[in-house]
Amino acid sequence: MIALSLQVSVLAGLMLAGCSEMTFSEDVTATDDIVQTTSYDRTLFSKDISKQAFSHPMGAMDDAMLDVFVTGRSFFTIPWVEAPSATTARDGLGPLFSANTCINCHPGHGAGVAIDDEGTLRRDLVMRLALSSQNDLDEMSMMSRGSEPEPTYGAQFSINGTHGTSYEGHVEVEYEEKEGSYPDGSSYSLRMSHYTLERLGYGPLHENTAISPRIALALVGLGMLEQIPEEAILAHEDIDDRDGDGISGKANWVYTTESSERQLGRFTWKASSPTVRYQSANAANNDMGLTSPLFPKENCTEAQKACKDADKGHHTFDLPGDRLDAITFYITHLKIPSARDFSDKEEAETLFSTLRCDSCHVSTYTTAMGVEIAPFSDLLLHDMGEGLADGHRDFLASGSEWRTPPLWGIGLYKDVSTEANYLHDGRARSIEEAILWHGGEAEGAKRAFMALGKKKRELLIDYLGTI
Amino acid sequence: MIMTIIFIFTKEYDGYDSNNNYHKGYQSMYISKNIISTLSLATALSIGMTGCGSSSSDGDAATGVTDQEKQIVLTSYADSVFDTMAAAITDAKALETAVNAFTDDSTEATSDAAKAAWLQARESYGVTEIYRLSNGPIDAEEGWVADAYGAPEGQLNAWPLDENMIDYTTDSSGATTSGNIIDTAGAFTPNGGDEVDATVISKEVLAALNENGGDANVATGYHAIEFLLWGQDQDYNSFIDDTVTNGATKAGERPLEDYTSNPNADRRKAYLDASAELIVDDLEAVASAWAKTASVDCSTDASGCYRAALLDSLTGDDATKNIKPDAALKTIIGAIGVFIKSELANERIAVAVLTPSEEDEHSCFSDNTHRDILLNYQGFVDVLKTGDKSLYDLVDTETRTELDALIASIDLKVAAVDAAAAATHFDYQIKEGSDTRSTIIDMKNDMRELGDLMVDVAADLDIDLNEEDVTDPDETVL
Repeated sequence: MIALSLQVSVLAGLMLAGCSEMTFSEDVTATDDIVQTTSYDRTLFSKDISKQAFSHPMGAMDDAMLDVFVTGRSFFTIPWVEAPSATTARDGLGPLFSANTCINCHPGHGAGVAIDDEGTLRRDLVMRLALSSQNDLDEMSMMSRGSEPEPTYGAQFSINGTHGTSYEGHVEVEYEEKEGSYPDGSSYSLRMSHYTLERLGYGPLHENTAISPRIALALVGLGMLEQIPEEAILAHEDIDDRDGDGISGKANWVYTTESSERQLGRFTWKASSPTVRYQSANAANNDMGLTSPLFPKENCTEAQKACKDADKGHHTFDLPGDRLDAITFYITHLKIPSARDFSDKEEAETLFSTLRCDSCHVSTYTTAMGVEIAPFSDLLLHDMGEGLADGHRDFLASGSEWRTPPLWGIGLYKDVSTEANYLHDGRARSIEEAILWHGGEAEGAKRAFMALGKKKRELLIDYLGTI
Repeated sequence: MIMTIIFIFTKEYDGYDSNNNYHKGYQSMYISKNIISTLSLATALSIGMTGCGSSSSDGDAATGVTDQEKQIVLTSYADSVFDTMAAAITDAKALETAVNAFTDDSTEATSDAAKAAWLQARESYGVTEIYRLSNGPIDAEEGWVADAYGAPEGQLNAWPLDENMIDYTTDSSGATTSGNIIDTAGAFTPNGGDEVDATVISKEVLAALNENGGDANVATGYHAIEFLLWGQDQDYNSFIDDTVTNGATKAGERPLEDYTSNPNADRRKAYLDASAELIVDDLEAVASAWAKTASVDCSTDASGCYRAALLDSLTGDDATKNIKPDAALKTIIGAIGVFIKSELANERIAVAVLTPSEEDEHSCFSDNTHRDILLNYQGFVDVLKTGDKSLYDLVDTETRTELDALIASIDLKVAAVDAAAAATHFDYQIKEGSDTRSTIIDMKNDMRELGDLMVDVAADLDIDLNEEDVTDPDETVL
């Protein structure tokens, strides 16, 4: 049945091939809820490769939609201040927070950058705190919150405070180079990172605390990822590796304040958020200290008295529901970068598949509404080995499992954010380094990559830069 | 077949279908999905039969606009930038004089005179804003233009102001804030920024503090003076009661004592004087770019160089700076489109009226936003229509008809908002239930459409501009 409906659109698509731009001569449909577009290929995808590549509004928006988009952008970009203030629409920052705007950590809506030019750690990289997965964790808490937060500092380490609320501390990083070589003899160097939390404001951390550095993800195509039919994602699940290819793939089923049902996790490094709206509220709360209908409480723990007692301003929520919705609408209506031309595309695609990269980085989907997209992810969890493990459980994700990150637009990360850092803590400085960190279920694919000749390795990496 | 397709969708979606049409909600979605499937096939067939050629009525090429005509348009544009900047400088100098008179002898009379001078200065500055977003002297982000003229827009007219960083405010609890530039003698560190020695408040010190630590730390320009003259106008209408200056006809009411008996009076005066001086400096730097005679060597003296470059008339080594007429026109048409659509309609009007929030109105201390809107829009019409030969003169009949209709419609709305401001300031006009709220909303929608129409204006001059080019200042690469 799905095939039938697809045939129709495929047929229509074929008929249109060759027309770079088309205008519908009359209303396509009798329903009045469809907003028409005039530029066929420009509506959802952008060919821009500048630093604004991830910042274009999708087309076909009417004035009412554009209004929501513009409002969302305003709240996404304009700095929040502490409450109470003279600017009530944007107060409520903190008491504990890391950054004061969304765009701070998602520069140009792109990926975060771990350290600045002077070697200082940037706030784009936050430290998530949880009791180590080796512990006897409170299963009730695990079910409702996904993980067991550090009892004094909570689930995330805040590097700033307002109202005389002491910040939680300061993060130091040390990098170390780990040299290695390919079977063909050429060498590489991997950057290893070691983090320490210093100047702790609230005493020592629980002895079993696992620190998980997480860098802000690029906000590419999130609205479309949300519209991939659940069945299409679950079709790639192979929890017990019945096909014996060494690659499992597991959905993360999560509980949030947004729904009483368990939902399929699609977003964040561990697929712990089911929707863009929930994740936006989550980030607003953890990163900026903003309350919203989904996170009605400030991110203070019982032990943090100043945080709890601080003046919270004069409103129910710092980020009321309609503004959260506007931010969500904004993020989900940014154009997706088109794949760029690549001369050896066919060879590279074959390579990508031969190495079995595509077992997890599943290239294409058709959204629930029939749009073809190519995010290069299965949105499932995979064990990536000890080298990448962070010891954090997050709902069904174990301490060494990570969601396959989508790769679309990855070649533009540097153009958009000025620096490109890959993997959950931004340790990898290049796509090559990121590949070489693959372990666990991806060990085989990595070895296959390493066994390639230099030319082919470069071909594959260059190709990834264009998808 | 249709029934089974409906059955597939059991979830509510808003979003794009495979034909890039946008659907809102499940109900309409599942019905229309099927209609779309069949109709897009029909549409495709009909297009298939007529071929893929010009599907748009504006697709005809050869427009018959001569290079000479384009040159006249560009020269008229450059001339009027020079003239309007000169008027803005005259009024800014008058503002500086009035501000100095007020700080020398702070009375109600000198305060009123300074406010009047500020309002007048906004009249002549407002029409110059249309020159923004065109990689020109006012706000080019990089390259020789930025280096030569300093791109002072952010220092002149940035908003929302960080008034809390400048002087005391009353917060939403009714408490008076402190720890600002005026009440902190010695070193001052803006939020997230670097320390500046502000023992003596001068234009250099203010320039160093402005946007130090982030775009939000706005400390200079017209709105700084506005705040120092009028004070806070707290017509809260989102969350809490209007407590500071309650009422639809009330703007800020800064007490004269702030400049007489208040312990920080002298620093406040110094702040005002320095701000006024800085505005004149910045405007003069921009105006120098438009001098009608270009300097002989732009690397040592850039006066007149931007104008000459825009008119493709620099010579010698400087000739590399020249902009070809089509590129110059593309920049100008794109910029006025971006300005009217993304800056004026979206950033200045839509955010304020939709939030709705007073702090998002442009001139929120004096409640002069109705004039900002009118003057910004007037600047747009001027660029489009004035000159020996204007862009408006060169477009085809169809585009002109559309321009006429939109301009007539916006004229009425802008005038209505302007007229209503006497009894209801803009911050009350944007409130739910106000008589002019829907006018403001419609006005901004018309302005967006007018911005989009610049694509057609460009096409009529054989210049390729697309909707993306007029959609957002941050994303426009001209």
